[in-house]
Amino acid sequence: MSSVVKNRMLFIIAATVGIVVLALPIFAHHGTNISYDRSQAWTAKAVVTEFRYVNPHPQLYFDVTDAKGTVTHWGAELLPNPAQLIKNGWSKKRSTDALMPGTVITVTVAPSKAGGTVGLLLKAVDDKGEELVPGGGGGAPTPGP
Amino acid sequence: MRNRFVIAIALMAVLIFSLVVIAQNRGGQGAQNNAAAPARDTRPFNAKNLAGIWSRNSNGYGGGGTCRDCGDRGFGNNVPPFTPLGQKMFDANKPSYGRALGSDDAKAHPEEHIGRRRAVPPANGTDLYQSCNPQGVPRALIYPDPVEFIVLPDRIIQNFEWTYSWRTIWTDGRQLPKEVDLARWWGYSVGRWDGETFVVDSIGHDDRTWVDHFGYPHSDQMHLQERYRRVSYDTLELNMWIEDPKVYVGRWNADVKRFKLLPKDAIKTPEGWTGILEDLCAPVEDVEQFNKNIRDPAGGVFHNK
Repeated sequence: MSSVVKNRMLFIIAATVGIVVLALPIFAHHGTNISYDRSQAWTAKAVVTEFRYVNPHPQLYFDVTDAKGTVTHWGAELLPNPAQLIKNGWSKKRSTDALMPGTVITVTVAPSKAGGTVGLLLKAVDDKGEELVPGGGGGAPTPGP
Repeated sequence: MRNRFVIAIALMAVLIFSLVVIAQNRGGQGAQNNAAAPARDTRPFNAKNLAGIWSRNSNGYGGGGTCRDCGDRGFGNNVPPFTPLGQKMFDANKPSYGRALGSDDAKAHPEEHIGRRRAVPPANGTDLYQSCNPQGVPRALIYPDPVEFIVLPDRIIQNFEWTYSWRTIWTDGRQLPKEVDLARWWGYSVGRWDGETFVVDSIGHDDRTWVDHFGYPHSDQMHLQERYRRVSYDTLELNMWIEDPKVYVGRWNADVKRFKLLPKDAIKTPEGWTGILEDLCAPVEDVEQFNKNIRDPAGGVFHNK
């Protein structure tokens, strides 16, 4: 088997497994999925202003600066609640340490269907490329606002 | 080489099929009762010992979806006709689970009962659970987070991880009350063994709880019967029905539910503390803060800062 074909096979398998993993069902404690539009998900650099590790859903508040320098303040809820974060290895200390105010991260957010500056946090990645407080189901890396 | 490529494509097809099955389960749609039974733990077990932490969650605890073989997420698809009062109660309930009300997705599934095709954002809903009130039963039994059965000589306590709520099932031989003065969030429950089936009858349920997260109502006249049967070391099957003449015409039989037994150390904090979590939705200030800043704006309901 040529290396080209082999690589193609590996890519297909890896991509498929990735899709399935990302699609693992999440049962939001508060039916939260219904409020957000995953098809409009965007990705952008953000500066953390506050992180709350609480029930019913943890929340991340952050600022996003667009190309014109306009700063927009966003609030996003996490799909996993503290119990699920614990299961994923993200204790309160680890989570809050990783999301201290002023931390620069890359967020992927599904915005509210109702508009405004609230959304569902699909993914948060630090400057080293590590995914933080995972469990949101990932997200498409499309340009942000 | 071609064969290997075909195998890769076949593998992809299998995985995509799995994806479709998983997706069908998202949001609670799609009965899973026809899924092939998984390999069962063949270790010996005592069919009359229900003690342990059981979960319908594919991930074990803390959110996540219902496992493929654990049964439908709702109470059941064969919803009996509503009485006029039942229809009125059903129409008044606005759940946030299921397919979005009026969506193409909802229109594409006319085979599903309307109860599963009318979800609205929590900000626009009427689910008391959204404010972290008790779920009651049978709803809590359908929830994917774990429940611990604590077996005592005169009762079995079900400790539900989400909201850390206790429900007592008395096994001391008492009868259900003839009349209930004050309905309870978790009802009044008695249990007995019928062969190797543990049968629980309960009445006196507060009518503010829902049968399941799709917003099916019940009245304070609901009689719930649960029939638990441990069919293998790690599998517990639950069959249920409700009778509620004020709301439904005839008995509503649930689709069978299955729980998996979690090893004692399956639930573990990062520092190694095992056992069911205190997944309590408190204090109320945190709930109100979340609702005001995130949940409500996401549903188009804005509060003054």
